[in-house]
Amino acid sequence: MIYDTFIAPFAEFEFMRRALVGTIAIAFGAAPVGIFLMLRRMSLIGDAMAHAILPGAAIGYLLSGLNVFAMAGGGLVAGLVIAIGAALIARTTELKEDASLAGFLLISLAVGVTIVSVGGSNVDLLRFLFGSVLGLDDQTLLLIVSITTLSLLALALIWRPLVLECVDPGFLRSVSRAGGPAHLAFLALVVMNLVGGFHALGTLLAVGIMILPAVTARFWARDITMMIAIAVASAGVAGYTGLLLSFHAGLPSGPAVILVAGALYAASVVVGPVGGLLWQAFPGRHLEA
Amino acid sequence: MSTLRCAFVALLAATILTSVPAAAQERLKVIASFSILADLVKNVGGERVEIGALVGAGSDAHVYAPTPADARRVAEARLVVVNGLGFEGWLDRLVKASGSKATVTVATKGIKTRKAGGGQDHGHDVDPHAWQAVANVKIYVANIRDALAAADPAGADAYRANATAYSARLDALEAAVRSAVAKIPAARRKIITNHDAFGYFEAAYGIKFIAPQGVATDSEPSARDVARIITQIKRQKIPAVFLENISDPRLMQRIAKETGARIGGTLYSDALTEANGPAPTYIDLIRHNLTTLAGALTS
Amino acid sequence: MGEQLRFRDLTLGYERHPAVHHLNGAIETGALVAVVGPNGAGKSTLFKGIVGVLKPLAGGIERGGIDPRDIAYLPQVAEIDRSFPISVYDMVSMGLWRGKGLFGGIGHGDRGTVEAALAAVGLTGFEGRAIGTLSGGQMQRMLFARLLLQDARVIVLDEPFSAIDAKTCADLLELVRRWHREQRTVLAALHDIEMVRANFPDALLLAREPVAWGRTGEVLTPENLTKARRMCEAFDEQAEACVVEAA
Repeated sequence: MIYDTFIAPFAEFEFMRRALVGTIAIAFGAAPVGIFLMLRRMSLIGDAMAHAILPGAAIGYLLSGLNVFAMAGGGLVAGLVIAIGAALIARTTELKEDASLAGFLLISLAVGVTIVSVGGSNVDLLRFLFGSVLGLDDQTLLLIVSITTLSLLALALIWRPLVLECVDPGFLRSVSRAGGPAHLAFLALVVMNLVGGFHALGTLLAVGIMILPAVTARFWARDITMMIAIAVASAGVAGYTGLLLSFHAGLPSGPAVILVAGALYAASVVVGPVGGLLWQAFPGRHLEA
Repeated sequence: MSTLRCAFVALLAATILTSVPAAAQERLKVIASFSILADLVKNVGGERVEIGALVGAGSDAHVYAPTPADARRVAEARLVVVNGLGFEGWLDRLVKASGSKATVTVATKGIKTRKAGGGQDHGHDVDPHAWQAVANVKIYVANIRDALAAADPAGADAYRANATAYSARLDALEAAVRSAVAKIPAARRKIITNHDAFGYFEAAYGIKFIAPQGVATDSEPSARDVARIITQIKRQKIPAVFLENISDPRLMQRIAKETGARIGGTLYSDALTEANGPAPTYIDLIRHNLTTLAGALTS
Repeated sequence: MGEQLRFRDLTLGYERHPAVHHLNGAIETGALVAVVGPNGAGKSTLFKGIVGVLKPLAGGIERGGIDPRDIAYLPQVAEIDRSFPISVYDMVSMGLWRGKGLFGGIGHGDRGTVEAALAAVGLTGFEGRAIGTLSGGQMQRMLFARLLLQDARVIVLDEPFSAIDAKTCADLLELVRRWHREQRTVLAALHDIEMVRANFPDALLLAREPVAWGRTGEVLTPENLTKARRMCEAFDEQAEACVVEAA
């Protein structure tokens, strides 16, 4: 019974095994990025990015038709231009990052819609670009694993300036010129994980697996390394459980994974030891001095 | 001065007179309910007939909503040709509303009908897609010929000649279909598709069209749906998959890889394609479907 | 000794309004200088210029050959995100940056150095605490520990003792004296005139333009202080372009 419920679906069907591998792989890449996004108050960037890549995909479509490489590549370029452009504007002018990003996004979306309608097609480009976790072919799996590996390596490289940029940017500016490039590199990682995630798994799953585990981890750890570990673990659990729900109960796969991630988050808000509601209501006797 | 005016009037008169003969051969206005019927009528009616279709190429007759322009065209027509068998639920009201004095001919009169299958888009008991069997279309052609002759007796001979010629082409088509199917090993004569319009084709030629278990109509299929389809294909050893409602090509590939099935192309059932498409006439449509099926099923 | 910092007709400001106007002069290596003046006198602006965060509107600063990033700087208001999940230990150890660079590991070998710095500011035992749990005084001690680790030849402190308790103040002043004994150049912007008289041998009285500069006793006279107070705080919106020639 246990075997049938928890193991058999993966043993019998290759598409389930691939889905599990894909979800876990992207968990390793996206969760750490998500932690930093949350700490930098950029948690909404995922949804924004899904719309922002439209003009890139549109130009790719105009140049080579419904060619997935052209469209995904175009989307990646558009995402990078927007993320980095917004960051540069925020660093060199009075405008803060959220406003700068909002400006770029709106322009980008308008440009994208214009290109698509002037180009004379009403094909829903974005829908074509976005995949499903159940359809992971070799190429897409390779893409996910590559993105994750690259992300982890890059994060290790820019770890110190990235952390310092979050906690004390003034100090970083005074001892190093690495702050700017580190921040831009981080944004590139965000875009890469998101666009790759969209292409492999669809928008909901890609953004959800980046943000929800991160905000869940906030309630369980006070140290950033621990937070990352918990985020990755929670993403993995969400992936495994979500796929099982999709298999046994017929829920659509992407939303199922995100629902589980969301349930973990909701539970953490209540019972998480760091700032959870239950602990705030019943803090226990104070300690000896 | 008056010589010039005389010459002018003569010229004008000559122009008018030479254009009259064309008017004398005024064509018979016929409206067909959808593109396949329109093609048949054109083949039988030839030059004597001006044919139009209400539901044009690439459009879906099941969900068609008639426009005021359609009412006008129906009102102007002398003959309206319909499939019947519940295919055009919206037609009776349209004809009545248009106040047309046209004769309405049901092209399927006399055809031996089948019961409708799983009923994904039809609520009727009778399967209306009788044109999928080529032999039935010969009856369509006969009915159309008779209707045209009744509306335009002067052209009866022409219509009979056209009908005979076209029926000969249909016989050739029928033979081609049977011989192509014979080349497919018997165990491989089955496909999975969510089309449910091929009942007559299945009955006439022996290729089984199996409905997919589970896969929902448009939104994202769940893991359970995919697992069911894979199990079904493997268990029933179905060689080819024609699932046009799974929009993600990579998911289709995955199902194909995991079951060893081939992914089929597009099958046309309820309408012709545009002129530059693969199925602009009825004969082209059958040939296209045949080639597509045979290509997927012969190893 | 020699000059550590030389200001050449230095004007620093915001949107063309000068906050430091035509400053000329030098700071000797190893000097301990208090920079004093009313609000808006340009003290923070001058420090930002020295550290390289603000570019001069006119004139220049020579830094005796050292890179501005090798100058240790404690700003008046630290833009520190106290909700960030980082420990006191990790925060303080960032002071080793210039020595380690981007990728150099801060490992077990450095533990002793970091712990010594924490001990010097009285924060032994605080290594594992999240920075968000520190009081104002403890935060300032932590930042001083970081400065210690930076091991810089020039140290610039902007209002380092405002809003902290007397004991912390006394302890940190002791550190400043230690730096002076180690012949590092130290500049500090301060409000407390008595503290300056008691601890700082040199002073610069600044009111957008230098009012007096030299030994503390000669600078902080009542006449000078009154003169400085008369400086207008707000920027003159009607000001014309300045045509004073360089000296």
